[in-house]
Amino acid sequence: MLSIFKTIPSHMDYKGQKLAEQIFQGIILISAVIGFVFGLFVEQFGWTVYIVLAGFAVSCVLTLPPWPMYRKNPLSWQPPLPEMSSEPSQKPQETTKKKKHK
Amino acid sequence: MNTVLSRANSLFAFSLSVMAALTFGCFVTTAFKDRRVPVDIHVSRVMLKNVDDFTGPRERSDLGFVTFDLSADLQPVFDWNVKQLFIYLSAEYTTRSNALNQVVLWDKIVLRGESTKLNLRDMKSKYFFFDDGNGLRANKNITLTLSWNVVPNAGILPLVAGSGHVSLPFPDMYESTKSY
Repeated sequence: MLSIFKTIPSHMDYKGQKLAEQIFQGIILISAVIGFVFGLFVEQFGWTVYIVLAGFAVSCVLTLPPWPMYRKNPLSWQPPLPEMSSEPSQKPQETTKKKKHK
Repeated sequence: MNTVLSRANSLFAFSLSVMAALTFGCFVTTAFKDRRVPVDIHVSRVMLKNVDDFTGPRERSDLGFVTFDLSADLQPVFDWNVKQLFIYLSAEYTTRSNALNQVVLWDKIVLRGESTKLNLRDMKSKYFFFDDGNGLRANKNITLTLSWNVVPNAGILPLVAGSGHVSLPFPDMYESTKSY
């Protein structure tokens, strides 16, 4: 079951993460201000709650999925180095020994 | 790690904090409001009996019957931080044994959205007006007051006394109790 969820891509780059956080904070704060003023005007605190919940839903849609606008600045990794000949054969052996001890 | 779940978590936590701040703001906007309202109480009939009080001191105690008219407009009390009002009519009087006696005679709940105009004629008290002795007979100063509890969405639970109370004397004689 869990492996299905892990295949869904959810990655954002660092600038995208910052942008997503700014977007949801802005949306919720703006909806809070609108809701407070409107609730005070119609004298129904329930309207304030509903407007903030609407802002919550909108920011869920906008910032939870990794939309393309959050992936515009991918990290530029170094090109892969050529592998050493001896190391890859030794390391798996060490890990298998440790597992045997456990 | 920034994943869908961690973003959802921070979004939810931020929304809850904002809601808490808004609720506090709702409390602040109404905290210093004067919730007193003029009330018109008129007592049309007073009757006094001396009957056995089986719950109290096992003696014959004074039982008062008050018929009253009540009119008030509670519209100014309501705002966005009021869910309901608990209105009650209480009698206050002094006897020789107690400096202050308070008896609730009648009450009513006014929900938000209901009619806020009280206009009641010839109401009988809902609860027995029993004294714990014989303090009602010939008591010249029995004060009826309408008060209300404001039940808010957030904040304190104020207890407000309506301005306008009525003081009435009780009769010197007991109404003759019929033998059944």
